Amino acid sequence: MKPYSIRRKQDALWHLVATGILTSTHQPDDWSVDEIVKPARVAMIDTSVAMDHPNLCGAINRSRAFDLFSTRLGAFPGLSGQDSIGAQGWGDAQALVAGLPGCKALLQALTARLAPDQSPHHGTIQPAASPVFSAHGTAIAGLIGARPARVAYATSHIDGPPDGTLPLPYCGADPTCEIVPISTSFDPDPEQMILAFLYADLVEADVIVLPRGIDDPFRSEPQLHAIDWLGQPLGELVTPASVPDRDRELWSELAELIIKISHRRPVICAAGNAHEEYGIYPANLASDDNGVISVGALNAKGWPCSYSPEAGLTVWAPSSDAEQFDSGEVRLDPERLKETDLGVPDENDNHKYSDFGVIATDVPGRGGYSASDFDTAEPVDGIREYGSYFCDFGGTSAACAIVAGFMALGRGLGRIPAPADGIAAKAWLLSQSRPVRADLPNVIVPHLGGGVFQPADP
Amino acid sequence: MADFSIMKTHEFLVTPLGLELIGRAEPDDATGGASISRSAKSVQMALNRNRNRNRNRNRNRNRNRNRNRSDIGAGPDWGILEPWEERAKLYELRAEWMDLPLPLPPSLPELREHATELLKKQALLSLPQYAGRRGEIRIEAELELSRYLRPYGIESHGGYDATIGLILVTMALTDEIGLYFKDRWNVPRPNQVEPRLRPYLAAPAHASYPSNHAFQSFAVAFVMSRLLPEHPGSVQLFLSARRIAENREWAGVHYACDTGAGHKLARMILPVLEKVLEKNMLAAQAEWF
Repeated sequence: MKPYSIRRKQDALWHLVATGILTSTHQPDDWSVDEIVKPARVAMIDTSVAMDHPNLCGAINRSRAFDLFSTRLGAFPGLSGQDSIGAQGWGDAQALVAGLPGCKALLQALTARLAPDQSPHHGTIQPAASPVFSAHGTAIAGLIGARPARVAYATSHIDGPPDGTLPLPYCGADPTCEIVPISTSFDPDPEQMILAFLYADLVEADVIVLPRGIDDPFRSEPQLHAIDWLGQPLGELVTPASVPDRDRELWSELAELIIKISHRRPVICAAGNAHEEYGIYPANLASDDNGVISVGALNAKGWPCSYSPEAGLTVWAPSSDAEQFDSGEVRLDPERLKETDLGVPDENDNHKYSDFGVIATDVPGRGGYSASDFDTAEPVDGIREYGSYFCDFGGTSAACAIVAGFMALGRGLGRIPAPADGIAAKAWLLSQSRPVRADLPNVIVPHLGGGVFQPADP
Repeated sequence: MADFSIMKTHEFLVTPLGLELIGRAEPDDATGGASISRSAKSVQMALNRNRNRNRNRNRNRNRNRNRNRSDIGAGPDWGILEPWEERAKLYELRAEWMDLPLPLPPSLPELREHATELLKKQALLSLPQYAGRRGEIRIEAELELSRYLRPYGIESHGGYDATIGLILVTMALTDEIGLYFKDRWNVPRPNQVEPRLRPYLAAPAHASYPSNHAFQSFAVAFVMSRLLPEHPGSVQLFLSARRIAENREWAGVHYACDTGAGHKLARMILPVLEKVLEKNMLAAQAEWF
């Protein structure tokens, strides 16, 4: 007997179909896994990741996953229990730190810490990598490089296939890449971010993704430092805590370092989620002469998301939309309008609103954005539900993760030649990007094969 | 390598109730699509919108439930039951935190140099333009939650009981942990090293290194950074914690090295707190996601 079902349904992978990565039947669109020359390596500077997620465990490079949250010079959460980190074949970042004395000293310390005989952890300090509190990184990793998976299920909870495994038909933009998670805190600490970028270079990542901002006290709100007030820059007057001289130097060096690294390998940054002019820092470093890529968000109808910055961005990519109800724009969910339309002007952009979300991987079980109803740890002998393994994600974080996977796929397929530097890789991305609308010529969206983004929300 | 055969036979669809796993194949398909064909296997997935913008505005609209401001009160009513369960877990894991590599405190000659910096702050603090900082120091002498809640915009809204409870339990546990480390080195307070210092507040009876105000405040900031990394308030909370810690230097009851040690200890102990406070953190997280 066919059960009654809900009529209104959306494709969970619309964002990959719309960008030409998958066909509507979720097969590679004019490319094949067999064509992968060499799987691309993506360094992901974000939070920790639930590395055992069934769709992610094949994507995460456990031996190189690095945590800077709790340990100053980093720890290896994927190597817990081993005596030493072993020979990992690090790259050479010396040229990057020329003229940057603070970065040079940190590179020296980091290089010593990465010696083969070093312990994965620093003494008694544990990495801060509990999967339970790894929601953001888990979503980002899935959008970049999740693989379709089969997982054992508990027959007492799920009526699944007779072979005892449940298919999880989900994948990221590049289901062949490997991801090196570099987990960080949101402590505004320049040293931590310098080490994260240096490490991303040392692992010789093909792509670096930064789905977050960096709260540099001088570059996050640069306009405040341009206002002279009571004889001082306003930014200095209102700072809640002192910034030591050493940190001032390091913040400057970090900005230079990011640009230098971007010449070697593309640095893909989230542009911000609050209509920031020219995007947040360091996305706002993007320019024609560097490899920083600033990514805005586009909804499933092909309109820039209400919250996305617009000026100065490199590309736009799919994400979830949000309502806006202010002098800048009125873009409201039709569902809300059915309830009340009080105060809604006749002239509005409600038709631009899309309720399509971007589905990402989530922390299985209790943690994450969509927590399981089960209050106990995930059973080892089979999952009880799969809803908590995925979530509805959004913001320019989601968009930049999709672009990171897109570029990783381009690299893996050899469409970005292996010797290409960050600027050449960015040029390839731009060559694959087209305007979605004639009236928004600057809003360009990547499409594998150079086609045009296909709106999924009619 | 990616196995796209799974994608040939199955797909996920998003419905208003959650994620639906659909078999693409006909019921007699040998791959197993039959048994789950056209049936929704789970509606566990809440359709969350993760976006670090305007979260509070939306939250307040939806989350006030039947509460109003007086349910939580303006401050004095905030409190928790003795966190016996968390304390028990903390001591169960004592081997994981009692030997964290906090640097040795400075020597007495070094402390005297540090105290000179505090004398400079003391001289400045008496100036009229520092009246605001004096007020902060007085308020922060006791546990004062607004500094921790304001960055998230939940200072005066109901619906965040578990988040506030998490902050209070974190404070309670780290207070005790801090005393343990203070006792190890028994570093004298600045005015014991430099008699010309006249602390703006009475120096507490316990040792100086590390600063518990710094340790507790940064511990809350690191816990919240794990909980809500994408919330702009999580960065602001670090700055707020630093301000609270530096105010203790301005008050002449802590050296700058005490602040630094409190920050280091908070960073190092986070993975342990994450285990001890997992239930509390999950309950708090549920108020935001």
